[in-house]
Amino acid sequence: MADIVLTLKTALTHATDLSCVVPDRFAELSNLDLGNLPVWSAAAPRSPLRLGDLFAIEGERSSSVRVKGDCRLGDGLGREMRGGRLDIEGNVGSHCGTALQNGTIRVTGDAGDHLAGALPGASRGVVGGEIVVLGSAGAWVAERMRRGLVYVGGSTGEFAGRGMIAGTLVVGGQTGAGTGQGIKRGSLVSLGSIKPLDGFRLACTYRPPHVPLILTRLKMAFGARFTEAQVHGLYRRHSGDLAELGKGEILEWCTA
Amino acid sequence: MRIRGTFIEDTFAEAFTMRAARIIITARNLTWARHAATKLTGFATSVIACKCEASVDRELDPSETPDGRPGVSVLFMTMSKDDMSKRLIERIGQTVLTCPTTACFDGLPEAPDRVAVGSSLKFFGDGFQGSKVIHGERFWRIPVMEGEFLIQEKFGMQKAVGGGNFLILAETAEAALEAAEAAVSTMEGRAGVIMPFPGGIVRSGSKVGSRTSKTMIASTNDAFCPTLRVVTASQIPEGVNSVLEIVLNGLDTPAIEGAMRLGIDAACREGVRSITAGNYGGKLGPHHFYLRKIMG
Repeated sequence: MADIVLTLKTALTHATDLSCVVPDRFAELSNLDLGNLPVWSAAAPRSPLRLGDLFAIEGERSSSVRVKGDCRLGDGLGREMRGGRLDIEGNVGSHCGTALQNGTIRVTGDAGDHLAGALPGASRGVVGGEIVVLGSAGAWVAERMRRGLVYVGGSTGEFAGRGMIAGTLVVGGQTGAGTGQGIKRGSLVSLGSIKPLDGFRLACTYRPPHVPLILTRLKMAFGARFTEAQVHGLYRRHSGDLAELGKGEILEWCTA
Repeated sequence: MRIRGTFIEDTFAEAFTMRAARIIITARNLTWARHAATKLTGFATSVIACKCEASVDRELDPSETPDGRPGVSVLFMTMSKDDMSKRLIERIGQTVLTCPTTACFDGLPEAPDRVAVGSSLKFFGDGFQGSKVIHGERFWRIPVMEGEFLIQEKFGMQKAVGGGNFLILAETAEAALEAAEAAVSTMEGRAGVIMPFPGGIVRSGSKVGSRTSKTMIASTNDAFCPTLRVVTASQIPEGVNSVLEIVLNGLDTPAIEGAMRLGIDAACREGVRSITAGNYGGKLGPHHFYLRKIMG
């Protein structure tokens, strides 16, 4: 099955809702159908554009989708995705991978706010699948995640992993304020710098056996890079959020 | 057929269908992986009394293991699907979980059947256990005094072949042992094949049933006992004073055939009169390994 390739014709000038770009739904659509998918944009607030107006579309009927171009103003890619693969060669805007259920999303650039987030009012966000951002991400990453793996190679904004129920968030760089607030279970793996909230308590320094599996998976499947010391090294385990269940953890890599 | 003077009998080894799992044990270093594997595969020579047969398949480089640490691959075999889960839970729980720095992974991810192991052992965590799903596979993190023990939830299980064998008939006990050692040395480390007996060698080959007890399912193979040559229907040729058996289990018949070819060839040496194999007339096991065909 050949990939569907969406190439941005011209740079987006206004916020644009690209939540129609969902690989599992593309699997049944012809090239013509893909081009006719409605896209709401702040550039044309009264009537929707068509996906074909914004992107040159190659291929059809595939759940493997590549998006080329700078989509930092494109929001909602991969929303409620249930399978397939979405490769974004560039940046994406906010709400990428919201309520992901299965499949993989890979972003070579940066992502905006609410990466891997939850639908408004929903008790749980991402419930499966993998999201990898090789650059940095904005605020509220992996909010209310229930299951799955999210990796941000660079830094994250404030409140990453807020209200996580389970799952794993790995951050390669610096994490913003409020990271891990209200998590019940789940793992926040910090390879950069992190200042755990007061709701976390240092449990021990050890080698968590699942971290090598996760980092190896990210390395092999998505091209993420880690040092040997990050893969097999020591981590400080902060248990929390003690204001919640307290069964979550922040695993802070010990650089020295 | 003769190989370097050793006669190859025109017969076949009869083997049975078993169920196999491959357990990958990783640890901080190979020493600890070996410690766990040694205990895991202890008292696992024959299903006759051990309920399972197991041995180290081979040692693994860090590049070959799921967590990038040194490891050991163990092949584990039982006669039924139900047995597999029970035996793995018992043995991994007492030998790998207890061993410092180890983790335990499935080595047959493509196998059609899955047996639950980690999902039972997790209860050792007394409610403090947690899990991680990585690439669709669930792993259990069980808190232990050292840190955490990681084990995959389910292990692959596939049909396998147990009871491949050949017998080395030698002029002296020393010659038999040297030939058997050479054979085992040649076959060791081949992927997909194990020799579950001590040193890979069996001195007490058995026949089905017993002359004197209805409850015994196996008793000494008197036809190949040198001391019984004149009082039983002996199959020991003139000049043979010691017999040793090599028993091989494998994931499939080609794996066993390949190992037997190497092993028999290595066993054909001075002091070895002939090589034969154990069978039951083809009535009990569906897998037949014809010695001359293998060595042809």
